[in-house]
Amino acid sequence: MSEESTLLEKEVARGETIMTVSSLKKSYGKLEVLRDIDLDIKKGEVICILGPSGSGKSTMLRCLNLLELPTGGTVTLKGETVFDGEKPKNLDELRRETGMVFQSFNLFPNMSAKQNVSIAQIRVRGRKKDEADKRSIEQLGKVGLDEKVDEYPDRLSGGQQQRVAIARALAMDPEIMLFDEVTSALDPELVKGVLDVMRELADSGMTMLCVTHEIGFAREVADRVIFMDGGYIVEQGPPDNVLGNPQEERTQQFLGLVLDH
Amino acid sequence: MDVFFDTFFNFQFMADHFQYVLDGFWLTIKLSLVGGICALIWGLILAVLRQLPGRALAPVRALVIGYIDVFRGIPLLLVILLLSSGLATMATQGAIPREIGIPEWFGESDPFWYGVMALTLTYGAYMAEVYRAGIEAVPQGQTEAARSLGMSHGQAMRFVIIPQAVRKVIPPLLNDYIALMKDTALVSVIGLVEAVQAGRDLYSEFYVPSGYTLGAIFFLIVTIPLARLVDWQIKKQHEKFQRGMP
Repeated sequence: MSEESTLLEKEVARGETIMTVSSLKKSYGKLEVLRDIDLDIKKGEVICILGPSGSGKSTMLRCLNLLELPTGGTVTLKGETVFDGEKPKNLDELRRETGMVFQSFNLFPNMSAKQNVSIAQIRVRGRKKDEADKRSIEQLGKVGLDEKVDEYPDRLSGGQQQRVAIARALAMDPEIMLFDEVTSALDPELVKGVLDVMRELADSGMTMLCVTHEIGFAREVADRVIFMDGGYIVEQGPPDNVLGNPQEERTQQFLGLVLDH
Repeated sequence: MDVFFDTFFNFQFMADHFQYVLDGFWLTIKLSLVGGICALIWGLILAVLRQLPGRALAPVRALVIGYIDVFRGIPLLLVILLLSSGLATMATQGAIPREIGIPEWFGESDPFWYGVMALTLTYGAYMAEVYRAGIEAVPQGQTEAARSLGMSHGQAMRFVIIPQAVRKVIPPLLNDYIALMKDTALVSVIGLVEAVQAGRDLYSEFYVPSGYTLGAIFFLIVTIPLARLVDWQIKKQHEKFQRGMP
């Protein structure tokens, strides 16, 4: 129990480092997906991660909450080691502190929107059902789904499902939100609703890491843009620099391909 | 033609011995219900044990796989004979308590309970494989979503994976249940007078096979609606699938 409370109680001030990744590596057999990633995430920072497919960006994101176990390197959260190079430590706490939203939504199809948002609050956070449901309705309201709380996922559009998924992660009061290409599976007209929710979240001071192909969103919302290729961070910096005046050839090539169509 | 009817559809004979076959079939029903419920639960336990994560639990998984291999691989008849003779022998020699070796719980005979045990052991192994198929058919993203919310493996299984998996495999489980119900007939070899043995008793006494026919009719009265139920379940799932919910 004592170990459990350390992470939760620790307060990190805005602008201070909340998560550190050093020499993170991930390979599947001989295939090296992440070669050597160093990353320092500050509280309240919004980071957008761009890169061609296969560059390792989603894998990196999934290594941060240890859905994928890295093959090397360390991850620390609020100064506590959560991955020591071999195995996870404080895994439950890490997962509680990080919310994740997936490309394919992954809502629980056997539960209503409200139940989707409540279940982990009840089972993981230990909230009473009434309290959790109240919070769920409030959170669903914030993502514009007041009228859909009792609908099941198969009755919701992709954009609505994705907003439920965001509400589900937020209801756990995470410190960091990880977004893994959350608009890639959506019809074009539904993308904006999801991006608007993310924009609002960024404005509210949430620490966010977004793997995305939405260059416009990155330019407008990100504090920092990271360009990845071949398992490395090739270039990073403020969006004006990385997107407006990229220094690396690979970044220029990628942006040329993405923007010229 | 008259001979044919007198042999198989001697309605007078059926009417005269209706109660005897019905009593047998009532045992069939009880045996299949108790054995079926036990097998459903035992199968789920096996399937969950087989899915336990981590290197430390590899022996448990190996044990479960071994169990399933063994009990899917030997005839139910043999399991019934082994169990009844084995337990009874051990009880008479004092190796195990008599109440366990020769069980007569809730007013049912010991062959009945040997039957329940054998059906549970064998059909539990079959059903574990059905559950496993269901668990594996739940998309990986469901587990990831549950784990990313901080649920443990056990919580993810209990609240997210198993409920979806069970729904997916209701039709094949019902199929197994129908098979189990028919296999209750095998328990007659250790002296349980269920529907089939009732027919044999009548035949050996009167040389009229119509008692068998009556037993068959009883079986069909239950198994045909069950088969329709399976069809209906599959159709329902199909409609759901077409609406986009796997």
